[in-house]
Amino acid sequence: MRLHMSRRSRTVVGAAVAFAMLGLAGCAPGASAPEETDGVEVSTELTDEEVVLTIADETGFPVTDALTEEFTRQYPNVTFEITRDTFQNLTANAPRLLAGANPPDLIRLPTIGDTVKDGLLANLDPYYEAYGWDAWPASQLSPLRMSEDGVRGSGSLYQLGLGYSVTGIYMNLNHAETLGITEPPKTIAEMEEMMDAAKAAGILPIMAGDSDGVVNFVVQALMNQYADQDEFLSWMFNEPGATYNTEGNVQGAEKIREWADKGYFPSDINAIDYFTFVTRFSEGEGLFTFNGNWAAAGYQEALGDDVTFFLAPPVNEGDRFIAMGAANSFSVAAGSDNLNEIVYFLNWIHTNPEARQIIVDITGASPGGDPSLPLPEVEPGSLIEKALEMSAQIGADNGQVDFMANTTAGIYAGSIIPESQLLVTSQITGREFVERVQAFYEQEIGG
Amino acid sequence: MITSKTEIVIGRVLLALAVVLTLIPLVNMLSAALQPADRNPAGLTWPTDPQWGNFVEAFEVGNVWRLMGSSAFIVVCVVPIALLIATLAGYALGGLRIRGARAVLVLFVVGLTIPFESLIIPLYYQAQGLGTLNTQWAVIFPLIGLFMPFSVFWMRAHFVNVPRELSEAARVDGATMWQEFVRIQLPLALPAISALTILLFIWTWNQFLLPVVLIADPLDRTVAGALTFFQGQYYLSIPLLNAGALIIIIPAIIVFLIFQRQFIRALLQGAVKG
Amino acid sequence: MTTTSTSSAPRRAAARAAARRADLAGWLLVLPALAAYGTFVIYPLATGIQFSFYDWNGIGAATWVGLENYITVLTNPDLLGAIRNSFVLVAFFTIIPVGTGLVLATLIRTMRDGAALRAAQTVLFLPQIIPLAAAGIAWSWMYAQTGAVNQILNAIGLGFLARPWLADYATALPAVGLIGSWVLTGLCTVLLLTGIGKIDVSLYEAIRLDGAGWFREFITITLPGLRQELAVLVTLTMIAALSTFDIIYISTQGGPGRATLVPGLLIFRIGFTQSDVGLASAFGIVMMVLVLALVLPIQRLARIGDR
Repeated sequence: MRLHMSRRSRTVVGAAVAFAMLGLAGCAPGASAPEETDGVEVSTELTDEEVVLTIADETGFPVTDALTEEFTRQYPNVTFEITRDTFQNLTANAPRLLAGANPPDLIRLPTIGDTVKDGLLANLDPYYEAYGWDAWPASQLSPLRMSEDGVRGSGSLYQLGLGYSVTGIYMNLNHAETLGITEPPKTIAEMEEMMDAAKAAGILPIMAGDSDGVVNFVVQALMNQYADQDEFLSWMFNEPGATYNTEGNVQGAEKIREWADKGYFPSDINAIDYFTFVTRFSEGEGLFTFNGNWAAAGYQEALGDDVTFFLAPPVNEGDRFIAMGAANSFSVAAGSDNLNEIVYFLNWIHTNPEARQIIVDITGASPGGDPSLPLPEVEPGSLIEKALEMSAQIGADNGQVDFMANTTAGIYAGSIIPESQLLVTSQITGREFVERVQAFYEQEIGG
Repeated sequence: MITSKTEIVIGRVLLALAVVLTLIPLVNMLSAALQPADRNPAGLTWPTDPQWGNFVEAFEVGNVWRLMGSSAFIVVCVVPIALLIATLAGYALGGLRIRGARAVLVLFVVGLTIPFESLIIPLYYQAQGLGTLNTQWAVIFPLIGLFMPFSVFWMRAHFVNVPRELSEAARVDGATMWQEFVRIQLPLALPAISALTILLFIWTWNQFLLPVVLIADPLDRTVAGALTFFQGQYYLSIPLLNAGALIIIIPAIIVFLIFQRQFIRALLQGAVKG
Repeated sequence: MTTTSTSSAPRRAAARAAARRADLAGWLLVLPALAAYGTFVIYPLATGIQFSFYDWNGIGAATWVGLENYITVLTNPDLLGAIRNSFVLVAFFTIIPVGTGLVLATLIRTMRDGAALRAAQTVLFLPQIIPLAAAGIAWSWMYAQTGAVNQILNAIGLGFLARPWLADYATALPAVGLIGSWVLTGLCTVLLLTGIGKIDVSLYEAIRLDGAGWFREFITITLPGLRQELAVLVTLTMIAALSTFDIIYISTQGGPGRATLVPGLLIFRIGFTQSDVGLASAFGIVMMVLVLALVLPIQRLARIGDR
């Protein structure tokens, strides 16, 4: 396998490459954006023809299986094909899947990114009118909107949620009892006292992992309490001039650094991924863990009555609650051949009692939709009941913020994960964390 | 032969050590795969009650039949075509020694050093343009092209070493070029071709980057490319993940064990030729 | 590379006519391979070069940006860090396997070609057969906090060294590198062993009679005799080191921090997750140039030795 390149042959190669280049010069890459599907007439009636709807979803997210099964039971002429890939692969492939010749009808899409600008997503505004979704909570839908100039939070509706999540803190009540803790902390300072006590008693204060970035549930939970909610949101929605580098965010990040210095996190935190930290908390390790409602059913099963769930405490007692929460966002491909049918399915998920029950049972998330609809039945005193109460509380406080990981397509893998790994192991300061993430943001948005 | 006793002893000890070190991760996979699926095992311990059922479960959860089918399809398309056109080209460049052969050869050889990662972005948009994206063809076509540098180089190295007298004798006997190729050259080339077959099979079966990028549905990928899907599917269970990973590497290991002599010879010659 | 041998004068004319026929037929035979190679290697390479001069998100319109993407590749600390990491990996993919292979092959060169040696060769080759992604899975589990590596360290009284190897800033990159060593050492050993077998035994006997020791024998006979194999292995393993993707993708995703970030992973991430096709293409081209820049001198060196 040896390379012999004489001067002459190098010329040959060079000429070949140059020749190929010549053929390409002058024509910039990039196809014209796919056409908007405006040929279809909006209908809220379900077809009685045989239809196969396709869904691209992430692995480890079984709710679409149950929902589609129930839908097919109710409407046998509609069947589904679901493909699954890991979250990271799916997010990497999503724009190109949508731009392909055969896009999935429905796709799990955490970040809208350039997809609206490129005309890849179906605009749901006509259906919003037709189905009367104006009765649904506006705050829940606003992160799913995007304006024409690519700013999220307002404009046309491009996504809906298969459940609307809320995040908070789980506390192991066994450890709490050992430490004499009787109720959830009301302030961050109170929570820190509890963690000091835990540390002193040899109990891990916070079970968290960061090999895949999930410690950012903790990072953002703290930032939320210090930052100005609107300012933070404007950054997540990519409003022009918005910045991550605010005093509130720095304070939150510095708090994380302080917690890292004090040893509140597991020492091998960067080796722990989402599923490991969930498993380890389920096995009784750690006083607190930061997670979402989707983990409620699993924790309940593992820990029974020895666990509770509450919203992250504010800085001062009695301040309103702020928590990350987001739609489990799915978008309809602009190129879908079954626009009416797939939107019917989405509307059905928000309105049909069985579907709403499935959402709650499997994900523990609020089913969303018209607040006047009866809520699905849940076991009294269960974590899922707590999760629904928390959703209601956040709704009442208007305290929902999006996940900062959804700010841009590349920011989570490209910056937030690596920088948070450095932050929680005391390699960089909170200010450095914020500055670096902002620098990446500017580069990605600008470049 | 003069060698000191200590050298011999040290040599064997080191060899034994290398063998053990090579085997540990594989044995560790097996031991992990046999632990109860709902618990995460600790280190390298042979299970007291081996759960062979894990393999059955991993097989079903991982849709292994479909994956194997998909891999087999890709292999069956890539390998014969690559073999055929590389053999023809190798014969032309090595056996016929056409004018301009040198320049063509150099063009191919340069391809040996191009990392797949350098081409993956354009390959994606090419597949999109051809409409093959997210089908197995998106991997099949580029793989045939990407295997050409090595395959042509390999077959040429064989043909260039076939004595010219053989073909001259055939010509004198009045054989056409085609007859000569089929009756004389091809039988002689069989060992080289079969070695290349094994190499191409393994390389295709184990190909990771192309299927991960070019085929969105993990179940339409090669088994290696589907390992990311396994990671997602078995996230809760290290035993099942290991069982799944073992299942998908077994066909390659079987092929290797059957053809190991040819295989080792192939790889060695492949490396040194030229 | 051979040149056409000269034939004697009377047969020259006939030979020339035959050669012309052979030329035409030959080119027809080369054509399919050339077409496949041109379409799926050369053409993408050219489009990659083209993309690298644009700012393009892969879907919308593209803007010409000249060399801006290349400037980013060569100035952005993250991207440079990835390149630096891949050079560190060369130590583990090239130096360790080739070094170990040399030592082992030298020491066991006199071993009889019996069943034991053949079995050993088979085992040493196994890592070549399994997908790198599977090696990544196997080793992630070995390196885990509760994995076999820490278990072994504890067992031999080195428990204080135990750590989550892939999550520790100091050890993550070497740990990933050692996966490469594991994959490549067998290949190097077996190849070098075969190479040594081809060296004339009488050379060894002569130098021993001369009273030379192990080291001089190694320097004056073994090393020069293996020059060709060494060039091949160094080339092969360096390309593997610089284009690592599978192992990192499966085991660390570039973490912790950016300790194991490599160009292959960044190209994937920038090109597909961030949809910055131009920058990713430029990085791909830089990576190819780097490989060529490293590989060509080795080839030249090996050839100078030949003369």
